[in-house]
Amino acid sequence: MFAEELKSLRRLGFRHVLLQILNFASVLASGLMIWKGLGLVTNTESPIVVVLSGSMEPAFYRGDLLFLTNPPNTRYQTGDITVYKIPGQDIPIVHRVLETHDVVKKVKGVRESEPRPENQLLLTKGDNNYADDVELYQGLEWLQRQHIVGKVRGFLPYVGYVTIAMNDFPQLKYALLGGLGLLALIQRE
Amino acid sequence: MHSVYARINNVSATLSTSLMILLAAIACSSFLFTANPTGSVNISSVKVFSAEARRYPNRQQEFAFVDFNITADLSPLFNWNTKQLFVYLEAQYTNTQGVQNEVVIWDRIVVRKEDALLNYAGKNKYPFRELSKKFKNIPPANYTLKYNLMPYVGLLTYGEAARTTAPVAFPLAKERVE
Repeated sequence: MFAEELKSLRRLGFRHVLLQILNFASVLASGLMIWKGLGLVTNTESPIVVVLSGSMEPAFYRGDLLFLTNPPNTRYQTGDITVYKIPGQDIPIVHRVLETHDVVKKVKGVRESEPRPENQLLLTKGDNNYADDVELYQGLEWLQRQHIVGKVRGFLPYVGYVTIAMNDFPQLKYALLGGLGLLALIQRE
Repeated sequence: MHSVYARINNVSATLSTSLMILLAAIACSSFLFTANPTGSVNISSVKVFSAEARRYPNRQQEFAFVDFNITADLSPLFNWNTKQLFVYLEAQYTNTQGVQNEVVIWDRIVVRKEDALLNYAGKNKYPFRELSKKFKNIPPANYTLKYNLMPYVGLLTYGEAARTTAPVAFPLAKERVE
């Protein structure tokens, strides 16, 4: 089956293989650059996330793609849908803000005139859950601004299901990667 | 040139490009629908009671109980790209320490246009607590009815449908329910 491909590979020579590998690497690198560039613009560590649970149904289902931003120095409001990750928790959670408390901190014994967004305390809840998220906060009383990865701005249904499928069936991931790699090597343009 | 691979490649590229353009067009079409529905919120009563704190059974904390009426016709918000409407009633107040608070006390998810005519009288769905554990001397609160419109594809939008005309004061805590 692969005899013909191998033959053509041999005919094209070593340089061609190297060039194809370089092409493949540049595709990967540009993907990474776009991802990181988006992260810089939107100020979040992951500007696009995939919904993994049904806790926000019927708004978001498993596999929906969410676009996040995390503008610095702006406060979150109730009704905003946030993605947060608390230390000790491996999966980020997508839930809606139910309460915000803009705390005024004391600096050197003097109370500040305005509350600063980074001192905001939040309480979240999944639309499809009965109770709020306090039990998920790993012992914390409130969700703090520093735990928030971003705010959901836009929404694209189903597209992220590919990644869920790849996580559930790792063979699919390797098959896809292997197939792509092979195609890149064999292509003769 | 006319190999099966090339054909599959072309067809799938055309398909995905046109799908992306279609989705973008649908997402942009949401900007053309600029409904701005209004309604009214009435707070019929606010009561404050002291009870055991949630996580600390031997600690006391005050809870506010709000009775309210909501009327709003949110059906103009339903267009072909509306997946659901998240409607919520929120209390806003600044406490004596200067802490600005926004607390959602009631919410509802509206999925169908037929259900978008809100006419609801009831009390808060979620516990209404204060950071300082007591509502004593807390300035009056404003109550606002807001909504979050979620599209099938595109950007999430927010809006305000109604607001109490005057701030509503918190009464002193009562010992027992009458």
